[in-house]
Amino acid sequence: MQSSLTHVRLAGIAVTVGSVVRDFQAEGLAAGQDPAQLARLAKAVGLRERRVAAPGVTALDLCADAAARLLDEAAVDASSLDAVIFVTQTPDHPQPNNASLLHARLRLSKAAAAYDLSLGCSGWVYGLHQAAMLCGAGAARVLVCAGDTLSRLVDPNDPATAPLFGDAGSAMLVEKTGEATSMHFVFGTDGTGASAIIVPAGGARQSEGAVSSACLRMDGAAVYEFALREVPPAVAGVLKLAGWTPEATDHLVLHQANRFVVSSVARKCGFPEAKVPMNLVEQFGNQSSASIPAAMAHACAEALQGSRSRLVVCGFGVGFSWGAAALEAGPMVVAPTLAFPR
Amino acid sequence: MTLEQKLAALRADVDVLATATPETVLGSLPNWDSLAILLVVSHFEHGHQQTITGAQVRACRTVADLLALLPHKP
Repeated sequence: MQSSLTHVRLAGIAVTVGSVVRDFQAEGLAAGQDPAQLARLAKAVGLRERRVAAPGVTALDLCADAAARLLDEAAVDASSLDAVIFVTQTPDHPQPNNASLLHARLRLSKAAAAYDLSLGCSGWVYGLHQAAMLCGAGAARVLVCAGDTLSRLVDPNDPATAPLFGDAGSAMLVEKTGEATSMHFVFGTDGTGASAIIVPAGGARQSEGAVSSACLRMDGAAVYEFALREVPPAVAGVLKLAGWTPEATDHLVLHQANRFVVSSVARKCGFPEAKVPMNLVEQFGNQSSASIPAAMAHACAEALQGSRSRLVVCGFGVGFSWGAAALEAGPMVVAPTLAFPR
Repeated sequence: MTLEQKLAALRADVDVLATATPETVLGSLPNWDSLAILLVVSHFEHGHQQTITGAQVRACRTVADLLALLPHKP
């Protein structure tokens, strides 16, 4: 699906990360893994450390902190928000949704819409698109929060997933504007890849099961092949819609799966590494739906705060699901990335 | 590109194949694992602009079988 929306702008972003630092080498050694193999993984994949949520802290807490800081920095009254959208696959409860809980925490207007989107690493782009559509349909200002605590879903004894994931929550403000701005989107889904990233138990299909079934399972090779196959055409698609080239684009911000994947996909997209943030993941881990705004805040904050930049973003992952966007962003609020609790 | 050049490029990109010969049996290498397979897929993608799957790599018995996945260009 392709979509182009006008008279809407990204007004600000904020990211809050977990407060607990996990060191890849130290964790692996403690689990009895071979030091040489750990060094090999660290070098090839780009694994160093990650930030996970403290006990009792959820994606809702991380996103609520990011949202409160963003509203404060942007000097936006929460009562002015027409909607809040929460992108997560680790909600606090099966019911009610996280958006309603966040609505109460931020004391939003009773006239505000609030709903969740169940998406993973592609979710931030979907959230941006939903908010932009709402602004095209009468909303003046929409808050989108995207975050997960995937570190809680992995089997700590599974070396293929345990060292990868960090926990983070993000917030973004999307506003209607009189300026002739535009955002271009390309979305896609390949449901035949659903089993490549899956938590088998915990839903209605398998409400209870062995502990291992409640953990995230991932076929890394299949995910890598999927990313190489689907992301470059999606990025080329939004570039075509926008009438841009890689040379005329300031930043390509990809979902920060790991350095190996980001580097490889960026290369196939025809972008030089200098335009593609990819070092964030070595510090924070794979932050799922929060990784794109985290990379923007980490690598592009100065440019986004001070001037207008041409951004291409692409999220991809569980589903398989992917979404790419091309937009001009800035000057905008980019709140500093902080840990919670502080 | 000669067979020797293809082998040299593969050795440079895939750590566990650093000293491999065409006769090397992949399963006999101590670190022939999922990471090594990813590195081979990446090597084909970026070194030869050829998309292959992990399943194709897993089906190979020797390094020569891997090199045979490349199209022969006289």
